[in-house]
Amino acid sequence: MSTFGDIGGLWADPDDGTVLVGTGEFAVAVHPQRLVTPALGSCIGITLWDAFTRRGGMAHIMLPSPAETRLGGLADRFASVAVPRLAEAVSGGSPRRRLVAKIAGGSTMFGGDASIASIGLRNADAVKHELNLLRIPLVAEDIGGTHARTMELYLDTGLVVVRSYRYGIREL
Amino acid sequence: MDPRTLTELQLDALGEVGSIGAGHAATALSQMLGTPVDIDVPDLKVLSVSEVPGMLGGPENLVGAVYSRLLGDLNGGLLFIVGRDALLELSDLLRSRTPGTSKSLGPAEEATVTHAATVLIAAYLAAVARLTGLSTLPGPSEFAFDMLGAILEGVTVQVGLKAENAILVLTRFSTTEICVDASLFYLPDPDSLEVMLGRLGVL
Repeated sequence: MSTFGDIGGLWADPDDGTVLVGTGEFAVAVHPQRLVTPALGSCIGITLWDAFTRRGGMAHIMLPSPAETRLGGLADRFASVAVPRLAEAVSGGSPRRRLVAKIAGGSTMFGGDASIASIGLRNADAVKHELNLLRIPLVAEDIGGTHARTMELYLDTGLVVVRSYRYGIREL
Repeated sequence: MDPRTLTELQLDALGEVGSIGAGHAATALSQMLGTPVDIDVPDLKVLSVSEVPGMLGGPENLVGAVYSRLLGDLNGGLLFIVGRDALLELSDLLRSRTPGTSKSLGPAEEATVTHAATVLIAAYLAAVARLTGLSTLPGPSEFAFDMLGAILEGVTVQVGLKAENAILVLTRFSTTEICVDASLFYLPDPDSLEVMLGRLGVL
């Protein structure tokens, strides 16, 4: 987990209940905390939520799989790694069938370059593929477009709030 | 090669490239505007990409950005970033209007700033080309106005999925009337950085 001081800006001084999920990381929290990941571009924010325990997790995924890059670094930035790990961490041994997933992000910030224009959608496909393998239902999504998003998960109701500069607030 | 392991001498060499680039850019902008434009000698920093949002007001800070991917002998990208107010002032400056005239960001402002950034990017690359003898061209420039974190994310994914560090060249444009702070980031592909330093004779 990132520390708020590193990130600066609005999140430099949050309230206690906010758990920040940095780029390429995941975190798990229980009500009354909430999970936030700021500024999703081509990355995908995924939330898994268990209505019974009011426990949930969020990951900020950058790339589909480790095959995409030669560099080391955070393994959790890949969909193929982070989604199973997140599911394991959220369910914590209780039945995984209670989990529901929501995703946001996957936009194209600079569309003219073929090499990355599709990365957001490829990320979204990879995340959906992983969810399918784990048999976790995807109940809502807000993906694509050309705008950035900030995603928040409220753990009492499982509400996901997606904020963007262009479209304001959207609830999933 | 990891930009973090650069020696003092290598940083000096990159700084020299940056100041010559800024000089070229200042000349070009003066010609465009018909009035003298000064660009400060740039401040050079090597940063991890994750540190950049903290420096520029947080990941959700709204900024204007112009990105150009490098083509030719060097791989990587150049990213020009300017805050919202500075963006409008820069646009006024370039259109010979009193700074503060533009209140909102429209297609005209976007286009003006994109052109100015393209000139800067090309000038920087011209300096690199002159000093190293490498042929490098800027790809098409693209404008985005959105959250800083998302813009950086999109770009760092693009740079060969490899660049984790950025060389930041901070510049400041000024005329007799106002100063506008803007930043130019050079996101080098680590292999290209090695090639460039080799040509500069400081590898």
